[in-house]
Amino acid sequence: MRRIYAIARKEFIHIVRDPRTMIAVLIMPLLQLFLFSYAVSFDVKDLPTALLDQDHTAISRQYVDALKQSNYFVVNQNLASASEIDGIFDANKARVVVVIGPGFGDAVAAGRAGAVQILIDGSEPNSAQLGQAYANGLSQIWGAKTAISRAEASGFNTAQAGGLSARTRIWYNPEGKSASYLVPGLIVLLIAVMTVQQTANTLVSEKEQGTFEQLVVSPIKRIELMIGKVMPWAVMAALNVITVSAIGLLVFQIPFRGSVVLFAVSSFLFVLCVLGLGLVISARASSTEVANQLAMMISFLPAFMLSGFVFPLANIPPVLQGISYLFPSRYMTVISRTVFLKGGGWDVLWPQVAALAVYAVVIITLSSLLYRERS
Amino acid sequence: MRFPWQKSAAEMCPAMPAADAAHAIEVHGLRKTFGDFVAVNSVDFNVGHGEIFGFLGPNGSGKTTTIRMLCGVIAPTDGGARVMGYDVCSESERVRENIGYMSQKFSLFQDLTVDENLKFYAGVYGLSDEKFAERREYILTMADLHGRENEMTGDLSVGWKQRLALGCATIHEPKLIFLDEPTSGVDPMARRQFWELLHDLAASGVTLFVTTHYMDEATHCNRLAFIYRGDIIAEGTPNEVKGALMRDTILQVEVDDGEGALAALEGSPGIGEAYMQGSLVHVNIGERTAAEADLPGLLGELGFDVHSVEPVEPTLEDAFVHLVTRQKEASS
Repeated sequence: MRRIYAIARKEFIHIVRDPRTMIAVLIMPLLQLFLFSYAVSFDVKDLPTALLDQDHTAISRQYVDALKQSNYFVVNQNLASASEIDGIFDANKARVVVVIGPGFGDAVAAGRAGAVQILIDGSEPNSAQLGQAYANGLSQIWGAKTAISRAEASGFNTAQAGGLSARTRIWYNPEGKSASYLVPGLIVLLIAVMTVQQTANTLVSEKEQGTFEQLVVSPIKRIELMIGKVMPWAVMAALNVITVSAIGLLVFQIPFRGSVVLFAVSSFLFVLCVLGLGLVISARASSTEVANQLAMMISFLPAFMLSGFVFPLANIPPVLQGISYLFPSRYMTVISRTVFLKGGGWDVLWPQVAALAVYAVVIITLSSLLYRERS
Repeated sequence: MRFPWQKSAAEMCPAMPAADAAHAIEVHGLRKTFGDFVAVNSVDFNVGHGEIFGFLGPNGSGKTTTIRMLCGVIAPTDGGARVMGYDVCSESERVRENIGYMSQKFSLFQDLTVDENLKFYAGVYGLSDEKFAERREYILTMADLHGRENEMTGDLSVGWKQRLALGCATIHEPKLIFLDEPTSGVDPMARRQFWELLHDLAASGVTLFVTTHYMDEATHCNRLAFIYRGDIIAEGTPNEVKGALMRDTILQVEVDDGEGALAALEGSPGIGEAYMQGSLVHVNIGERTAAEADLPGLLGELGFDVHSVEPVEPTLEDAFVHLVTRQKEASS
């Protein structure tokens, strides 16, 4: 115990005394949190929109007003002819061009469907897709409204008419706010990257400084060295979970609907998993460069690509889905999102929690075996 | 815990003869190979209690590998050793508790203060608080570091770092200390002070196992072993080792173009060895007299401007050059 304490204390001094480590550990995660949450927003709002109204009737103006009133489109240009459209897209002045053909007003007034052409710049797929959906939705709603008011005007009781209307509601994140699904996933990513990176380096840097040489001729056991070295990082990881969650709740106003205990237990297991991964790297890497690269490969890529953080796991190729089971981030991402947004409890999350527990036992055992080996 | 394919200590370690209390270190046929490369070729030697034992040899000759085996850090390929009575292979943990180790890297944490380094090593060796207070006081005095307890280790001069490293390596008062090139990169003044500390330790009964490539330091040792390409090619007191040159004459030559003269002499008949000693050339002329060898005449004919030629008392360095040359000739 005394020896573990001596190592842990020394390790803490290293961390606290090195401004670069302190920044990497405490400031970087927050910086990334803000970057991701503000810059990497998948929300589409205020799409710059150009308008080509070839109809010029009261009805076409009503449609344009509806377009303007939505939050999704900002009509910033009025075009005179169709030949201008290419130039508008090339100059990135608009992402959407709405073309109201001649005869639109007449068609609507006559009770026929009015045709509106919506051109979307596909070079930015995310906004293109959403812009398309919004524009379609808007046109349908407007069309329906117009039809209903017309029918009512002609004495038709629309409430008694049959027909089908689909009402879609998005649960858990009704506003479709990016921060709500990004932050819970981001917590997992940040913890994984920071912890794997730092633990991967801890022993390697000691080897490079030559102090490792001194420790191996001391009576200290490898397992004691290992525990002492990772303890400060476990504390740092816990601190990070708390600060990032707090900022998510307070600054980004994301909900926390589940059990704090469940989240704390799973976070603890997850931290053990990533500490174990870092230690495996540290036991094998020959230099800090190698350790850093391996850490990036093992922590960042899976936590970013194979955790469901950005890409839904159901949509990635089966081989990659299989690989995703080998990294702890996928389990933790599910737990984190479910606890934050859905409020799911042990009854639904036990498979993920169990997976993390098994993973932690396996990886810690493996790393201590690797440490025991003598050359 | 171990992998199924890893051998247990008992399977890995050959049986050793019973401990002999007279020796701090007993080495029996100790061998280490890395693939086809023989780093240490079945060496045997003993080190008595309280001795300063010099372990000499050029870089890459097997010095550090031997030390690492004696400290129980790497397992021998064959043979074995007892250190303070414990088998380095099967009882490596006991060995590590009973030795001190200091390397040329002065394994100190540069971003820790003097006091924090001491406290860390006290923790590693499990010292009680009272014991630590006593040892800390002793080490600060020994290393002349009073008043610098809170200075960053990285800011200390090399001499101080070296003495602090010795303090950390001996914080648990080991009866045997391994010192691997402890004085390399340290100025001559600090080296002399350091050797005074080592003599004090030896006088208090501590055994010192020192590697160095400074030949002048070898004379501080009670006994020497010279290792070359994994083999021990000489062993004994400094005078015994120098005895290998008893019948040879060494001439010290002062000449304008030392390197050129050296190249010219190496091919000449009757010249045992020629090598630079500082700016001077040392020439072993075997059992002939200086007059018989007539170096001024020989070099003069070749166009060198010879200032002086005089016979000198053989040094340890002369002895080692001779031994290495003989070994090279024998193996070629």
